Parts: sequence; C-alpha cells; structure tokens
Amino acid sequence: MDQRFEGTPRAEIRLDGRKVTRGDVANDWGSQLVWEVRRDGHVVATVPARASDSYQINDATPGQYEVVLQLFNYDGYEKDKDGKFTKSKFVEVSNKVTCVIG
Amino acid sequence: MLRIGDVRVPVCHGTTRRCFLQAGAAGLAGLSLPGVLSLEAAGAVDAQKAAIRNCITIFLVGSPGHLDTWDMKPDAPAEIRGKFKPINTNVAGIQICEHFPLMARMMDKVALIRSLHHKTGASHENGQRWMMTGHEFNADSMKPHSGSVISKVFGSRGTLPASVILPGKIGNTGAGPLHGQTAAFLGSAHEPFVLGSDPARSDFKVADLATPPGQTEFRINARRDLLKQLDDVQRQAETDSALSRDTAYSRAFNLLTSPEAKQAFDLNQEPDKLRDRYGRNTLGQSCLMARRLIERGSRYVTVNHFDTVFGISCWDMHADGNTLNNTYDDYERLLCPQFDWAFTALIDDLDQRGLLKETVVCVLSEMGRTPTINPRGGRDHHTTAWTNFMAGGPIRGGQVIGSTDKTGARPHNNPIEPPQILASIYHAMGIDLETTMLPGPGSRPIRLVDAEPIEQLFS
Repeated sequence: MDQRFEGTPRAEIRLDGRKVTRGDVANDWGSQLVWEVRRDGHVVATVPARASDSYQINDATPGQYEVVLQLFNYDGYEKDKDGKFTKSKFVEVSNKVTCVIG
Repeated sequence: MLRIGDVRVPVCHGTTRRCFLQAGAAGLAGLSLPGVLSLEAAGAVDAQKAAIRNCITIFLVGSPGHLDTWDMKPDAPAEIRGKFKPINTNVAGIQICEHFPLMARMMDKVALIRSLHHKTGASHENGQRWMMTGHEFNADSMKPHSGSVISKVFGSRGTLPASVILPGKIGNTGAGPLHGQTAAFLGSAHEPFVLGSDPARSDFKVADLATPPGQTEFRINARRDLLKQLDDVQRQAETDSALSRDTAYSRAFNLLTSPEAKQAFDLNQEPDKLRDRYGRNTLGQSCLMARRLIERGSRYVTVNHFDTVFGISCWDMHADGNTLNNTYDDYERLLCPQFDWAFTALIDDLDQRGLLKETVVCVLSEMGRTPTINPRGGRDHHTTAWTNFMAGGPIRGGQVIGSTDKTGARPHNNPIEPPQILASIYHAMGIDLETTMLPGPGSRPIRLVDAEPIEQLFS
C-alpha cells in the first residue's frame, strides 16, 4: 500500500531578535522538516529542523529575511530524468516571520 | 507434571527433547502429540520461570543502503561513500547518517550489528525468508515466521493474537510469493494476524474486527456454538489440522466479539500529540499500534515498512528511471526522516511506560546495498554486508557488533548471519534455545533456529 498523507500539518513560529523558534507540528507527517530562509525574496538556505526547535539567522548580508517552516509532502515517487521528485514537494506549514539585517 | 486423562505429561520451559520422547510414549498410551502440544499453546510453558519479553520488529522492505545509513565510510572514494555525511551520536565513537539526528541521541539504547551477511541469492525474498524465519529457504520444508514461533512457544495473553503483522504482509517484491510470513507447519492457529489496512488513514478500519452487515453479536455467537458442535465431532479424529483450526476459529470469534481487541486497534484513543510524535504516516501509526498491541497482550508485532518495492518510494534505491526509481532524494526527504521520527518515538514511548525493558525492538532488512554507486546514482542489492540493529529488553545498547571492510563490501570482523539474529531475538525474549523445541514436519522435534545468540548483545 502506498502512503497517503492526510490532514494539514501546522506549526507556529516566532522571531526573537535573530532567533526563530518553532512549536510542535500538529498533524506531523514525519517527513523532512526544514527551515526555508529567503533574503529579499530569494532562497538562501534550507536547514534541517527536526533536531532543533530553533534557528539562528547568522547571515550578515544586508536584506530582508523571511523564514518559514516547510514539510515534505509525499504525493508519489515519480521523478524526472535527474531523479528529482515531480509530484512530491515541500509545502509551507507555518506562519512566516521576517526581519531586516543591515 | 500435568495429567491428561490417565497420562502424566511433563511440563517444562518449552518442550524439551525429553518431553518429546515422553510425549511419544504418551502417544503409544493413547494421547496424540497434538494433544500434548495443545497444552503448550494453552500456556503450559512455564511463564513464571522465565522472564518472558515481547518483540516489535520493524522490517525495512527494500533494504536501506548500509553505507548511506548506519555504516558510513566517510573516508572512502566519492563513488562509494555517497552524498550523506555522518554525525556523532551520544555514544563516543559511533557515527550514523546525518538524517537520523534523533536516533543519534539515543544510540546508548541501540546495538548496531554491522557485519550481517548471507550466502544465498540477492533477491528480496531470500533476505526476507532468512530474516523472518532464521532459516534458508527450502520449498519442501517451509519454516514459520518468528512471530508464529513465539505464538507456539508462549501462546496468547488474553484475546489479542500473539503475533500480528502491521499494516500488511509483504506482497510483490519481484521473485515470488513466499516471504516467510506464514506459520508454515505450525498451522493456522499460529498464523500472524494481519491488519490489512493503513492505520494512518482517516477511514481506517480493521476489516476482520468489523461485524459483517446484518450480523448481530447473537447471531455470531449462535454460529460459533454450531461450529463448535461440528468441530467436536471432527475433533474425535484429533488430527493436527483439526486442533489448529479449532484454535484459529476461537481466536477469530474472540477477536470479533472482544471490546478489548477493538480498543487495542483504535488509535483514536491516543492523544493527538502522541500520534503526531510517531508521524501521521503508515510507518508511524503502525509503530504506535504495535506499542498498543504489546501493551494489551500481543507478544510479537512485525511492522513492515512497505509491502512492495515497485512504484512507491521505498528503501530499494536502484534509481532505475522506471518503477524502481528510488534515489537519494527519497532517503533524504521521506525515508530517513520518517524512520527516525517513528523509531525514536517508539523507543521513547516504550521507555516512558516502562515497557522497553520487557520489549525487544529490532530493525531488520533483507540485505544491504552495493558499495559502489551505480551509473544512475543508485545502489543495487548486496548480500555480503549490511547493518541491522536491536534495542530494548536485555540488549546492551551503545555498542557496535562486527564491522565491514573499508568499502563496506564484506564483514571485516565478527561476521553475523541471519539465524544468529533470530536466535538473539528468541534468547532476548526469554526462550532457552537448548531446551525449547518445535514440533517440526512429521511431529519431529526441531530447534527453533540452528544458531546461537550473539553473546555480545547481552554482555
């Protein structure tokens, strides 16, 4: 039987200075959980978020930073010719927090 | 001694060779061997004497690449070491893959066995039969699943089946229908109960526990009574199959009418937070159900992580561009995180409830994967070295047993074969392998497995 993820995962994150902290993920699918970090709209980092409930923005490059928690949504094993998933993808599961550096 | 009719029958821990000889003599006196064995099934094994423990086995169908998970070779060439990095664990000197960060924090509870190997062909089925039964496959003499062995030796506690397979049996893995997940010659009374549906789904139901439409409990009981009368006639012949069927019927009726059984399978009784902690996926919810079943009387629960290797994301990382197209992405995004989340939840949960000391937890697979990454970026089947692990019960965690050579191709020291794993499980569960016998084909007493436990696991 193939897996089917149901329900909508949801977590709250908050910003304290440069430190982002998350709560537990409700309806957690148990797949890869990452912090996605954007600077001025461009992804600059995706950082594993399972092992720790916080993430520190250490980047000194000036810009507006936006952080959100993402969870991998499995929707089939299909891949492209490079072996990357075509249907399954990361989805946002938290609110976004922003801060300006520089 | 027990007395059956006019015959005195020895009762011991398991059934010894001597018991069988005496049972043979009892047979001459008019008592059949199945009669003696049914005593054992009814709990004649001396449960007071031994520290009987339970077992939960997580079977990673498809076989994780050992070099990408629990036996990393960071100093090997790139085409061997792969793309993942090792991380330290809470035990000095033991490293595992970066995608098991939570497991790394409980390595003091886990014993890694890094020198597993077998000498038969590199099919999934060969590995499954080795690891499920502890015996090399022989079509003329099928061997029982380890859960069936436990059912036979320890019997049931309460209404729940002694052995349960979650969420379903292994299906098509490429080379035939025989996966070592049946009771074989032990008979239908010891067949594992198979859940047969996905406990992670919102419409989850245990098909065998749902009363058929139009059937009231009264009608079910009436049918049971009628069946019992028919069986009483049939039992006059007192054959193996009649007794076995009798027990199987009883078990089915008990399950169908038991509130305890229905509760055991009802995950809605667990707090949402705990269900989340296991992971809202098939593996996670199966592991949670395994804990509930063990807690309520099952002895041996097998959780199959996947029932096939085709057309799904699973551990069988060939990257073939077709139906076996699992890649490093599957490992990183789904498989490793899902396993790490569920396994550590299970260990923590068992520990917090005081169940870990009486529950052996095993993570097994059919084989490992080739040291050299194939041209498509995957790894293929490899039977001469792989890593499995055990925790709980009397297992001493925080250790590595055996090692592989520089490329992870073969055992470097302390080579371990599948029967030793099964022997270790049985030993850890409290079975004396020297004295406990099974009624083999033709009722000949046979050992549970032809191997000794791995001593280092317990020292």
